[in-house]
Amino acid sequence: MSKLTLKNLTKRFDSVAAVDHVSLEVDEGEFVTLLGPSGCGKTTTLRTIAGFYQPDEGEVLFNDRLMNNVPPAKRNTAMCFQSYALFPHMNVWDNIAFGLKMRKIPTDEQKKRVGDALDMLSLTGMGLRKPGQLSGGQQQRVALARAIVTQPDILLFDEPLSNLDAKLRVQVRVEIKEMQKRLGITSIYVTHDQDEALAISDRIVVMNQGEIEQVGDPQSIYLHPRTSFVAGFIGLANILDGKILARDGEKVELETPFGKLRALAGGFPAKVGEAVKFSFRPENLNLYKDGDINRIEGTILHAIFMGDATDLFIDVKGSRLRARAGSTARFNAGDVVEFGLGEAAFQFLE
Amino acid sequence: MERKNVSAVHYLLLVPGVGFILLFIGSSIFLTVTQSVGLFSITGKSQFTLENWNIVFHEKESLDSILFSMKMGLLSSIGTLLFAFPVALFLRKGGSGKRFLASLIKIPLFIPALVAAFLIINLISFHGIINETLMALHIIKSPLRMLNDKFGWGVVAIQVWKNIPFVLLILSGSLASIRDDTVDAARNLGAGAFSILFRIYIPLAMPAILVSMILMFIKAFGDFAITSVAGPTYPPSIALRMRNTATMFQQWDKAAVLGVIIILTTLFVTWIYSRLAEFVTGGE
Repeated sequence: MSKLTLKNLTKRFDSVAAVDHVSLEVDEGEFVTLLGPSGCGKTTTLRTIAGFYQPDEGEVLFNDRLMNNVPPAKRNTAMCFQSYALFPHMNVWDNIAFGLKMRKIPTDEQKKRVGDALDMLSLTGMGLRKPGQLSGGQQQRVALARAIVTQPDILLFDEPLSNLDAKLRVQVRVEIKEMQKRLGITSIYVTHDQDEALAISDRIVVMNQGEIEQVGDPQSIYLHPRTSFVAGFIGLANILDGKILARDGEKVELETPFGKLRALAGGFPAKVGEAVKFSFRPENLNLYKDGDINRIEGTILHAIFMGDATDLFIDVKGSRLRARAGSTARFNAGDVVEFGLGEAAFQFLE
Repeated sequence: MERKNVSAVHYLLLVPGVGFILLFIGSSIFLTVTQSVGLFSITGKSQFTLENWNIVFHEKESLDSILFSMKMGLLSSIGTLLFAFPVALFLRKGGSGKRFLASLIKIPLFIPALVAAFLIINLISFHGIINETLMALHIIKSPLRMLNDKFGWGVVAIQVWKNIPFVLLILSGSLASIRDDTVDAARNLGAGAFSILFRIYIPLAMPAILVSMILMFIKAFGDFAITSVAGPTYPPSIALRMRNTATMFQQWDKAAVLGVIIILTTLFVTWIYSRLAEFVTGGE
């Protein structure tokens, strides 16, 4: 187990900075996810930690030991690849034992560790099969077994579930989380799937255009996004422009494109008269009920039944918003409906 | 599943290709085999006999030719592989000069074997460029015999030079199909350059390695042009001996025996390599 520190990490391809002065500290045993859209620099950061790329600037430290010039083979990291990257000419057993052979672990110890890994990942009895004879989920479990069997200081995951179907993805991500907690290995996980990131991480690092937008635990990232990018990328959000009309401590009155709204600004340092950007989640914009602070009248554009809820696209005086209603409610396009919005639902953005 | 109706006209499309194979290749193989056992003889009485087989296997000259050709086939295939594999590995990842090198190395592909032999003779003959240069630099006092040498190194050198691009094409395709992730996974798990070469690249390229070795062996074992120009005066290659036996000594039936030996040897070597391929790839 290692503590990982990135200091001003920068990696350029030609003149384009794929990773731009990224600094991050990951504690021993922590599970941190790098989350962002394609091209945001998350995989480049991961591959630089693994040693496949040399940083152009900055430092990669494992337990305060500078790793910039240490080759991948000597870093004691283990990576699970998106493509699984199993060795197609070796059977499951030899795939898992590969890292142990490279480390010249005695044969008896190899047998014990590979056997334990097979049991832990429900692969017992599959040791003699070739990767081509396994399903996607089984291949990913072999890749996991191959990674953990070497007892790495840091586990690296490069979108390991993206080739699996939706159900299997949920199942394997639970297995990954349980396994990581049991073994306590420091883990860096790369994904563009926000659900996966929210479900699996101790902390999430949201990246955009090579830079870190926000770092925090899943709840704070989801409930308190600091920027428009984070609010829009994590979950669904209505992002709007407004102006502070009045402020009394935490309580503010906002002018919005569809009228005045009352909100709690928390610690956001906006003054009266200042233009602000704010967001609220569709699940906070529900059918109006007595006691709701804000009443918003909207026209239904589309109503999509999602099973556990109904997803609503509404027009409010020219602004297009997303709202959420229960699964039993019935709507038709053109219906005029009143929605309620609590004052704590607002998130003010930088 | 619905089965498509195939009309008789459809089968007519096969006539040119299959007809040619049956008429010219099939019949000539049939005649070679039958003449080797005395049937359809064009120089003597036609009757079944194993006498020619008996003579060939008790004749030192014939056995020397067979062994010489086998040696040339084996050394040429190994030699070509040893030269081509590192280049194919370089071309897989590339670097500056990759395209230039890839073009340069394909030149021998467009030069006929006989012309190639004469080109190389300029280099390795008794008073060729290499010997003259080494003597001018006082590295050697008298010229080295590299051409028409008894062992056949000159033949091997020309075979390797001529066939590197051909083998390179096969190996490059195979190495290019190895995913970077697979190699990165090995590096990540602690494998150095040596382990990656012997545990990843070579096993994954093994089918291509075996195919190129089979094809190289067959070409070099049955070679006529290069050994006739650059080979030793004795023993001649089996193809050369076959030509001499048929046209100089008019012993067509005995020449047919040598022809059948060439065919059977290449079939046997192909069978051995395919068994080997099955073994190393686990039958996939």
